[in-house]
Amino acid sequence: MPDFIASALERAPTANPDWLDDLQAAGRQTWAASAMPTRKTEAWKYTSLARLERGAYLQPPAPATPTPANLKQHFSIEGLDAATLVFVNGSFNPDLSSDALPDGIEMVRFAEANESQAEAIRAKLGQVVDGRQHLFAALNDAWLADGLFLRVRRNTRVDTPVHCVFLTTAQDQPFSLSARLLVVLEDSSEATIIEHFCSDDLPQNAFTNSVTELVLGANAKLQHYRLQREQEQAVHIGGVHASLGRDSTLNSFHLGMGSTLKRVDVVVNHHGEGAHCDLSGVYLPRHQQHVDYHTCIEHAVPRCTTTETFRGIIADEARAVFNGRIHIHPNAQKTVAELSNRNLLTSTRAQVDTKPELEIYADDVQCAHGATVARLDEQAMNYLQSRGIGTRQAEVMLSFGFINELVERLPDEAMVEFLRPQLASLFGRQSLVTGRPE
Amino acid sequence: MSEQIDRLIKKEYAAGFITDIVSDTLPPGLDEDVVAFISGKKNEPEWMLEWRLKALRSWREMVEPHWAHVTYPDIDFDAISYYSAPKSSSDGPKSLDDIDPELRSTYDKLGIPLHEQEMLSGVAVDAVFDSVSVATTFRHKLKEAGVIFCSISEAMHECPEIVRAHLGSVVPQKDNYYAALNSAVFSDGSFVYIPKGVKCPMELSTYFRINEAKTGQFERTLIVADEGSEVSYLEGCTAPMRDENQLHAAVVELVALDNAKIKYSTVQNWYPGDSEGKGGIYNFVTKRGVAHTNARISWTQVETGSAITMKYPSCVLKGDNSVGEFYSVALSNNYQQADTGTKMIHLGKNTRSTIISKGISAGHGSNSYRGLVRMNPGATGARNYTQCDSLLIGDQCGAHTFPYIESKNPSAVIEHEATTSKVSDEQLFLCQQRGLDAEKAVSMIVNGFCKEVFRELPMEFAVEAGKLLEVSLEGAVG
Repeated sequence: MPDFIASALERAPTANPDWLDDLQAAGRQTWAASAMPTRKTEAWKYTSLARLERGAYLQPPAPATPTPANLKQHFSIEGLDAATLVFVNGSFNPDLSSDALPDGIEMVRFAEANESQAEAIRAKLGQVVDGRQHLFAALNDAWLADGLFLRVRRNTRVDTPVHCVFLTTAQDQPFSLSARLLVVLEDSSEATIIEHFCSDDLPQNAFTNSVTELVLGANAKLQHYRLQREQEQAVHIGGVHASLGRDSTLNSFHLGMGSTLKRVDVVVNHHGEGAHCDLSGVYLPRHQQHVDYHTCIEHAVPRCTTTETFRGIIADEARAVFNGRIHIHPNAQKTVAELSNRNLLTSTRAQVDTKPELEIYADDVQCAHGATVARLDEQAMNYLQSRGIGTRQAEVMLSFGFINELVERLPDEAMVEFLRPQLASLFGRQSLVTGRPE
Repeated sequence: MSEQIDRLIKKEYAAGFITDIVSDTLPPGLDEDVVAFISGKKNEPEWMLEWRLKALRSWREMVEPHWAHVTYPDIDFDAISYYSAPKSSSDGPKSLDDIDPELRSTYDKLGIPLHEQEMLSGVAVDAVFDSVSVATTFRHKLKEAGVIFCSISEAMHECPEIVRAHLGSVVPQKDNYYAALNSAVFSDGSFVYIPKGVKCPMELSTYFRINEAKTGQFERTLIVADEGSEVSYLEGCTAPMRDENQLHAAVVELVALDNAKIKYSTVQNWYPGDSEGKGGIYNFVTKRGVAHTNARISWTQVETGSAITMKYPSCVLKGDNSVGEFYSVALSNNYQQADTGTKMIHLGKNTRSTIISKGISAGHGSNSYRGLVRMNPGATGARNYTQCDSLLIGDQCGAHTFPYIESKNPSAVIEHEATTSKVSDEQLFLCQQRGLDAEKAVSMIVNGFCKEVFRELPMEFAVEAGKLLEVSLEGAVG
């Protein structure tokens, strides 16, 4: 097999604005100097990239054709009053996107940025993510053609959520793309951003390499969602990298569904005192899917707090990997950090590998993490059955309840209403809850 | 209070003294001749030499592991002497009275006078001074029960078939870098065989000491508990004060056949280096046990010494219903670094494992728990419970937790919990308000923190462990 590192560099570069050249070149350089992860690479110990390497993804998407009419159904969230920005196969699609953005939020596509906007983007882009530690972020830089820059000005509260859709459609030949989102919340601003990765229903042949950077100023508050609902053949490697200013709050929810291979790195840097991060997520791999969530919370300053909860239900022959790292730096006193990861295996061939990590260099901290792996609680099953609920229904109730607990906590009612039936329909499948064929 | 703290932190290593005995030491370096020399010195059978050479060849092809959360200067393996034996051993002491008086007084200073132990405590002691067993007591009493307890080189002559069947069966020569090195050059160690259905009449104990300067110690311990037997084995270590780092790469293999029980307890107090982080022992040990059907293996360790520790006593739960346990207290003060934990590999049905790990970091110490719990597809109904707690004393230390949890069986249940906290001012205040001084208060809190592990230790060790913690830690509160 040809070397993926070298082949990826040969992939025809996508046309990009000149001011991105430096970033692209630096990305190429970092990528070229990297080695492809193997099982011996700690961060990739449980995740093989063979599906990516085998997939012949290394060409840009075919030029945009007229937009199929029915794409909207794949991403629309009923009842959600949001401004929608849609990228189809890496290209911005004005037909599917909202005409106007809510007041207070500024949206610029990298490809269209004027000089002052380009300057603002360059000041922040690539500052939160470290390509040397996250090699696919370097690859994202290397392939970077377009991206989305969202900025909320000081003391502004934007009530309307911004719905960023990254949709792929099946093409004649496999392709790869870089998706890039940069969100800057200036001091004391507030916003809701939904990142939504989805696809049409045909077997996908796309490799999406996404990088999201979130920069929160002092007192800023961001409600962030990252939904992954791609079709099962898709390959997705992504990262969310956040920098939190003083007393800022990041609430981030992650949904992992679909994709044959999915790897998401979530890195939160507490850079200002008193910042708070609430990170939660659910992953629901089935069939032969592989899902890998790597989270890393860097507590670099005192008095920050983190609450992290991830839950997974692993069905069929799927495999889930979770790595939750909390790193408390030497002067990050008075940190309070908690992490919980719970997994349900519903099939004899399902697998999970979880590693909650604590790395602590300060003494006046309260840290705890917990991880469990099990199947449905027999006592709970007995309880339900003794009250006349059938085995099957009890299984659905308990599985759904396990996940729904996290979904119910979400602040946007429309999101809850959107997610709930989708999750419920998953658990309606016999094989997911019992491991028996349908 | 800070003066008191300084005084206690700077307290000299209480067991640090050097015994002057003329040693029979090989020049530094390692090649096939050295291995042949060691093997010849032990008068070993041909197969054993071959076994060692195979290990040496594998070792040469392996690379030193660097994944642990520790940093230390590179080890020059050519600067180590691979064999050192007390001179007097060639005559072979016939009884306790024949033992070198200076060696005897070494043990006296450590509080384990052999003759008293024989009479009072009922503990048999196989004292390993550097690499060769010089005294084995209670052998006859054990013989009556059919228990074989001797040095591994003796065992190779007395019961070669048992040694050959089990040596390397749990930790193969190629297992890891340090196990391969050990397999090539191990000089001696203990061997225990408990026959079918026998409950060992007394607790077996080995005191290891590292003595000769610049000498790596390569112990090899093999314990075989035949079907339905039971044994409790105690290993305790102290080492004299040295300026240079000393490498210790031991291998311990436990074989618990059907329905057998092995309890292996360790108190490790090797020289941790001085308060500047200079010197101290490198303790890179491979310990592993295989539990067959209904067998139980229990590891208990109190690790207070060594500059660098990399140690993961593990259980392979091969047979159905087998049980693995790991109870650990690891302390790192000054510049000590410990990366320790366990592996529980569940292969059989209804296998169970418990991990209780207590890490204490003080001064500039760094303490990591690294554990693996693996449920293989066959581990139906298996169960694991893990609890790792870290206590931080002082703001320069580090406490880390790296648990690897892998499950391939839906009916297996794994629970992992970890917490990190410091000795709180409120706790200290409460104790002091009731008339305890700060030192006593910390000691009490730490002892309470470690209670779950200490109660797993045999009585004699529990006392020593408590004392060790006091010496190593008490008053190190900031």
